[in-house]
Amino acid sequence: MVSSTPRFAGLLLGFLLSAAFAAAVPAYDFFICANINRNYVIGSKIVTTNGIFQRAASGDWQHLGYNDTGISAVAFDPRDRNVIYTTGNNGLWRSLDGGKSWRMCNDWTMTEARDVAVDPHAPDHVYLALPDGLAASTDRAQTLVRRENGLPARGKYAQVVQVDRTRAGRVLLGCERGVYLTEDGAEFWRQVLPTKEMVLDLQQSPHDPQVWLAVTQSVGAWRSTDGGVTWAKLPGVPLTHPLYNVTFDVTHPQRLAIGSWGLGVLASEDGGQTWIDRNAGLPDPHHVCRVGVDPTGQLYASVVGATLFVSADFGRTWKPDSLAGSVVNKFLIQPKSVK
Amino acid sequence: MKTKFLSLAVLSAVVGFSAASLTAQPSFSGPMPSTKPVQRADLRRAAYFDRIDEVLTWRAGLAKPGDPLITDMGVIVAKLARREDAERCSRSVIALMKEPGSGPFWMFPTTCIAYLGRGQLTPEAQAAIRTAWRTTLQLRGDTENHWAMYYTSLYLMSELYPDEPPGAWYSGKSSAANLAEAREYLIHWMDLATTIGQGEFNPTHYIGEYAIPMLYLATWAKNPAMRVRGHMMLDWLLADHASTTLRGVLRGPNARTDDTSLVERWNALASFFSWIMFGNTPPTAAYGGWGIYFAAVAKDYELPEVIYRIATDRDADYVQRDLKRTRRRWRNSDVSMAPIYKTSYMRADYAVGSYQGGISDPIQAHVWDVTWAVADPRGVHNTMFSMHPISSAYDMQMYFTELPDQMIKGVAKEGKPSYDTPDKLLGSSRFEQVFQDLDTVIALYAIPPGTRFPHINGFISGDLVGLTQDGSGWIFARGGDTYLAYRPLAPHTMEPMMKYKSMWTGERTASTDQRLVSPHLNNGTIVQAASVSEFKDFAAFQTAIRALPLKVKLDPTPTVTFKTLRGKTVTCTYGAAPVVDGKKIDYAAWKLFQGPYLNAERDSRRLTITHGALERVLDFNTLTITDRVKP
Repeated sequence: MVSSTPRFAGLLLGFLLSAAFAAAVPAYDFFICANINRNYVIGSKIVTTNGIFQRAASGDWQHLGYNDTGISAVAFDPRDRNVIYTTGNNGLWRSLDGGKSWRMCNDWTMTEARDVAVDPHAPDHVYLALPDGLAASTDRAQTLVRRENGLPARGKYAQVVQVDRTRAGRVLLGCERGVYLTEDGAEFWRQVLPTKEMVLDLQQSPHDPQVWLAVTQSVGAWRSTDGGVTWAKLPGVPLTHPLYNVTFDVTHPQRLAIGSWGLGVLASEDGGQTWIDRNAGLPDPHHVCRVGVDPTGQLYASVVGATLFVSADFGRTWKPDSLAGSVVNKFLIQPKSVK
Repeated sequence: MKTKFLSLAVLSAVVGFSAASLTAQPSFSGPMPSTKPVQRADLRRAAYFDRIDEVLTWRAGLAKPGDPLITDMGVIVAKLARREDAERCSRSVIALMKEPGSGPFWMFPTTCIAYLGRGQLTPEAQAAIRTAWRTTLQLRGDTENHWAMYYTSLYLMSELYPDEPPGAWYSGKSSAANLAEAREYLIHWMDLATTIGQGEFNPTHYIGEYAIPMLYLATWAKNPAMRVRGHMMLDWLLADHASTTLRGVLRGPNARTDDTSLVERWNALASFFSWIMFGNTPPTAAYGGWGIYFAAVAKDYELPEVIYRIATDRDADYVQRDLKRTRRRWRNSDVSMAPIYKTSYMRADYAVGSYQGGISDPIQAHVWDVTWAVADPRGVHNTMFSMHPISSAYDMQMYFTELPDQMIKGVAKEGKPSYDTPDKLLGSSRFEQVFQDLDTVIALYAIPPGTRFPHINGFISGDLVGLTQDGSGWIFARGGDTYLAYRPLAPHTMEPMMKYKSMWTGERTASTDQRLVSPHLNNGTIVQAASVSEFKDFAAFQTAIRALPLKVKLDPTPTVTFKTLRGKTVTCTYGAAPVVDGKKIDYAAWKLFQGPYLNAERDSRRLTITHGALERVLDFNTLTITDRVKP
C-alpha cells in the first residue's frame, strides 16, 4: 500500500521509476484505446479491430477484450489486471475476467462516457466522466450513482477524470466550465480552475504528485503545483487552437508534450517553460488528437486521417507505427500488475 | 474518428438497390395515384393490403432463384412475411449471423427476422440469432432514433428469450434486466414526446426509425401495456405525419432531412409512409429501402380512419401549431432541450411551415419553407426558403460528444457532404430568427463578424416559372398553382447550383436551380405566398404585393414591419418577440398541438385527433384509445 502522504508517495514512485529504469526493465505496461474505422456506420459489420491494445515487448500491439469502435478510455483495477473498465458509446463496460466477458454497467440514463478512473487507494471506487456530469461507484461499477453536488447545473460536461494517487477520494474532473476537485470521493465538488470552454485533459505528474497539468479548448495549458488547488497558465503555449491532451514522460521529469488539432505536437524539455513545435515528419495538416509517452520514453502522436506515429527522440523525427490507420483516444501507462 | 452522425437509412435507400430492380416497382414508376379519399373502409383496407403485398413481392423477388444464400436481411424478411422459402432463409440467417452488425440498424431487422421466423426458421437458424445477440457488442448509438430502435429490439428479444442469465446477452445483463431497462427508456421517450414534444420531429427519413419500432411493439410485445403504448405512439406519429403532409409530401421544417429531400420534397422515406398508409403519393425507390421492415408487419396495424381523413380529405385551409423540442444538448447551452414552436399553414395549393429559428439539430435541420403542390412530385423541386449556412464546431459540440475539430471534418465524409460548404441549403443557425403568420414568412439574420460562411442562401427552384426580379425589390414566381413573392432584404446575386449525385462520395452535378446569395451580416427574407385562384393573373398578384407596406431597417438590428397580403401588420425585430397587429407572440402559451385536427395540452400525455365527426383520443395516462363519432 502506498502511503497517503503525498510527498512520500511521490518519492516512492520516483524511487520505483528510478529502480525500474536503472534495471532497464519497464515497471509499466502501455495501453492505448484505438479505433480503426474504415467506412463504418452504426449498424454495419465491424471489419477492423478496435478497442484496447497493449504494447508487447516485441513492439506489436496486442488486442485485448471486445471489438469496440467507439472506445474512449480504459482503466484497470490496480489489484487485479483482469478487472478492466472501458468507456464508449454505450457508457461503461466492465470485465472481471481479463476481457473474456463484459457487462454494460450503466443503464439508459448514462451514455457516451468520456473517461473512467479507479481510485488506487480504494480500488472498488470507480469514477465515470459523462457528457452530462459524473457518476461514481463504490462496488466496482456494479452500481453507479450520480455524484454532482457542487458541479454546475449546466456546464458539467466531463471530458476527463483523474484520481489523485496520493489520497483516497481525491479526484479532479475536467469539465466544460473548468476543473473541479473533490476530496471526499465525489460527495462534494468545488471549482478550482474556471474556464469558458472545455477542459480537455488533466494529468498528474509521475514525478511529483503535487504537479498537475490541464489543457483546454480555448484558454491554453495550465499547471498546478499544489495538487490541483491553484493553477497558473503555462507560458509559451499558443491559444490559437484547442489543446486535446497533455502527457508527461515517465522517464524524464522535464519532458512534456501536448497534442493539438492544428498545432500538432508541442514538446517541452524544460518542464513547460518553453515549448517547441515537433511536427517535422508528421503529415500536414497537423491534426493530432492525442500524444502519449510509453514506459521507455518513446513519444507517440495519433494523427487523424493518417495513423499513429512514434518518435524515439521526443518528436525530432517520426515514423509510422504498426497500427496502421488508427486513431488513438487514450494512452495509458499502467504499473505492472501482480495479478 | 468514431462514426456517429450517420445512419444506414439513407445509404440503403440510395445505393442499396440496382437500377434493374427499380423496374419492378409499379407504384414507384407508375402513374400518380389518386389523391381523392377512398370512402369505403373495406376498399381502403384492401388497397392497403395490396400496397403491402407490392412491397413484399418486390423485395422477395430480389432473391435470385439459383443462389443458395440470401445476403439481404430485407429479402429474408419479405420471404418470411410471405411464408415462403423457409429452408433457404434459415441457411441464410445462419450465414449472416456469423458476421453480425453492431447497432440498432442491425438489431431491428434481426428482431424482425426472429419474430417472423417463429415456426418457420430452423432451430439452428434461431440459435444463430440468439448466439449473435450473446457474442456481439451492440452499440446503442447517439440519437433518439437509434435508441428507439435499440431499446425496442432489446425489449422484444428479451421477451422472446426470457429468464436467461447475464452471460446470455452481449450486455452482460439478464433478460429481466434488459427488459426493465428497455421498458424504462421507451416509456421515458414516450413521456417526453407526449408532454414537451418529439425530438427528431417530422424527419424526412427517420420517420421509419420511429414508426417501425412502434409497429413492432404494437404487434409483438407480450406485455399488454407496452403493446398498447406501441400502438398509440404509432397512431401519434402517423397523425402528426398526416397533418404535416401536402398531398402525401412531407414539407415544412424538419429536425432531420438531407440535401436531396430538402429540395425534392417528395424524395424521402416519409413518402413511403404516405403511400402505404394514405395511398396519395408514390413511394420512393426501393420503397424507401427500409420500407420492407414496416410492410412485413403492417397487416397487423389498421390506420384509424380519422388519421386517413386528415391526410386525404381536407375541405378548408388550416393552421396547425405544434410544440417540439431540440435534440439533447450536452454543452454550450443553458438548457438540455430547447422548445421548438412550429407552425403549419396548409392550403390546397401550397403549405407554409416554420419554426422560430435556432438550432434544432446540428447538421440536418430545416427551418422553414413554402412548398407548393404539384400534380406529380417526382423529381420536382417544389419549395422556396432561405437559410444561413453555418458550419461550426461550437454547434457540433452542443449536440455531439466529440472533440471540437474532428467533427466538421468527419461529418462531411459520413453522408453529409454539404455541412462545411458555403453553398449548402441544409441546416439551421443560431443567427436566424423566423416568424410565420399564415402564408407570410419573415426570416431575419444577425450574423456576427468572423462567422464561417457570413452570408445567407436562398433556394430558387428551377421548377418555378415566370421568375422575375422586380424593380420594387421583390422576386416574383409561380410554382404550380401558387404565386410566390420573395423579398431579399439586402443586396444579392443569383448563383448556379450544383446538386449531389451521391451523399457518400460528395459527387455533384449541375442543377437548374439557383442560389440567391446575400453576403450581408444583418439580413433577412420575406416570402409571401398566395393561390393563383385568388388573382386575376400573375400581374395582379405582383401589383398587390408591391402595394403592401414594408419598412426595413437592418442596422444595428434587423427590423421589419410588413403588412401581409392577409391584412396583418407584422413587426419582427431580431432578438425580440414578433408582434402581430400590436400583440406580442407568446410562445409560452404554445400548446403541444393546436389546430383543427390535432390538439393536446402541454404535459398532458393526451392527444385528441379529430376530423369532422370522427375523433380518436390517445391517452397515455390511462393507456386507452377512445374512438367516437361526434353527434
